[in-house]
Amino acid sequence: METLVHLYKITKVYRVGGKDFTALQSINLTIEPKSFMSFVGPSGSGKTTLLNLIGGLDTPTTGDIKFHGSSLGNMTSDERALYRRENIGFVFQSYNLLPVYNVYDNILLPLLLANGKNSNDHDRVMSIVEQVGLLNQVKKKPSELSGGQCQRVAIARALVKEPRLVLADEPTANLDKENSYQILELMLDLNKNFNAAFVFSTHDEKVTKFIRREVGLEDGYVKWDKIRNDAGEFE
Amino acid sequence: MILEIAWKNFYRQGVRGLLNACVTAFAMIALIFMLSLLNGFQAQATRNMVATDMAGGQYRAPNFDILTPTDWEDRTFSVPNLLHSLSASDKAEVLVQQGLLFPNRRIYPVQLRGIETRQSLLDLPLSKLKVYGSHPPDVIPVIVGTRMAKKAHLTKGTTLVLKWRDKRNVVDARNVLVADVVSFVNPRVDEGVVWIRLDHLRAMTTRPGEVSWVAVKKFVGTVDGVKFHTLDILIADLMALLEQDRRNSRILWVILMFLAGTSVLNTQILNIFKRQKEIGTLMALGMKANQVVRIFVMEGSLSAFGAVILGLVFGVPFIRWFQNIGLDVSYLSDSTIPVSERIFLDMHFWEVASSIIMVVLIMVFVAWWPVRKITRLDPTLALRGRAIT
Repeated sequence: METLVHLYKITKVYRVGGKDFTALQSINLTIEPKSFMSFVGPSGSGKTTLLNLIGGLDTPTTGDIKFHGSSLGNMTSDERALYRRENIGFVFQSYNLLPVYNVYDNILLPLLLANGKNSNDHDRVMSIVEQVGLLNQVKKKPSELSGGQCQRVAIARALVKEPRLVLADEPTANLDKENSYQILELMLDLNKNFNAAFVFSTHDEKVTKFIRREVGLEDGYVKWDKIRNDAGEFE
Repeated sequence: MILEIAWKNFYRQGVRGLLNACVTAFAMIALIFMLSLLNGFQAQATRNMVATDMAGGQYRAPNFDILTPTDWEDRTFSVPNLLHSLSASDKAEVLVQQGLLFPNRRIYPVQLRGIETRQSLLDLPLSKLKVYGSHPPDVIPVIVGTRMAKKAHLTKGTTLVLKWRDKRNVVDARNVLVADVVSFVNPRVDEGVVWIRLDHLRAMTTRPGEVSWVAVKKFVGTVDGVKFHTLDILIADLMALLEQDRRNSRILWVILMFLAGTSVLNTQILNIFKRQKEIGTLMALGMKANQVVRIFVMEGSLSAFGAVILGLVFGVPFIRWFQNIGLDVSYLSDSTIPVSERIFLDMHFWEVASSIIMVVLIMVFVAWWPVRKITRLDPTLALRGRAIT
């Protein structure tokens, strides 16, 4: 099977208060295109660190990450920025929308960053806005939206440039149950419609119902890696 | 795109951004005002000195120094033909000698300044001397300025004793009549000066054809035994005085710019601190660190640009209003600074342009200074709002 991301013996050590803290220990993992998977585990287990490393926001202490065969370890910070711009969509727990921009402009921003202004930008933005159900909100600022709507905007922003990988860090943590389900269903739909893999970090059990693969982390180690079978059970 | 983001962020700052721009604008107006006022001061002082004393330069007796009265008797020369033949509008012959006035039983040392009555080069209100003949009468007519009259308690029509020394070093004395008390725009030709007809002074001091200097409209060539002093040399002491004022105004300007710069710096630091998540998000979306820096620098630049606009909005009406009323400097009338009652701004294009450019550059610099560390920012910490603490 084709591999989108390959992690080789990833270790991440932080220096905290003069002492070394190992966030990740010898992680070996592969992520396939169009995956819909999550890293689960308690706080401090290394989920967010793993997402940050895959997204090129951080660099491993040892080991290497390959994205479609290209090593992130050899990239400069500017090259990693380009890698994120072209390949990665981020969805954050607290949405991280730009407060001065309205919905439309927030979603447009990654396109402008990637290609500058293009004639089909408007159509692309409006298409994704329609898919996330925000057609009536395009002129609103983030401060005028609910949490669920903000997360939809964040998802639309992550997907508008059609990345190959969407990294979502606790995307349902700030949402109520109903909104969480709506967001997860939306992401599942988008995973089918777009050629993008979705990787979550979560300790929200609601997420588990939707994902097709679950990687359990504890104290920086991979404790389990389960894939849902055709019967819908993890094995 | 960067400009667009920067503009929206600048706009979002609202009153805070407006106040920053206002402080910078006022600093800019103050700087231009101070420099232009000094220019106006300098221009008027120079104009007054040229009009009443220096003209376009002076041919002087070698080593003549107006500040050394004891030498005046020895530093005279006979006017050479080259200068004597100039028209009345092109030269003014002047003889300066020491004298002692005795107003109200006091002794008052004075400078006797004899000047041709037919000259029209210098703008001096001495027409009352023209009515007298070339031979000194028994009571010699003199004219004094208002400052001199005030100090020596003289009024028009006052008669008092004048004592002087002639060329043979013989002391002589005669009554003089204050024929007029006039207002001079230049205190240097007023304070301690007694104006007298040149032919009278020459006769009194037995110095026919002699002068201390010949003021001329322009340099007319080298004259043997006489030294030409350019206007620049003659007004050098005044320029030195004004240069000191310029230095003082620069200190004031540095203080103003420091305050304006601190305000912008403070806003930028607060901005970066408050907007760490935004910085992290932009980096996560694929913006390079230097692009993020450019957004913040652009915001600072917009603030500076806003300050220029506000500077024009506030500055132009203010300067127009000021040019109508001028600055009252009558308090200087007791000094030796050659300015009249009010001075006005004298604005030089390059001075205004360079002041604006300097303010903008300083504002852009203080906008960049705190944000340069963004290039070293860890995006994961920025996303959590912990990169800068």
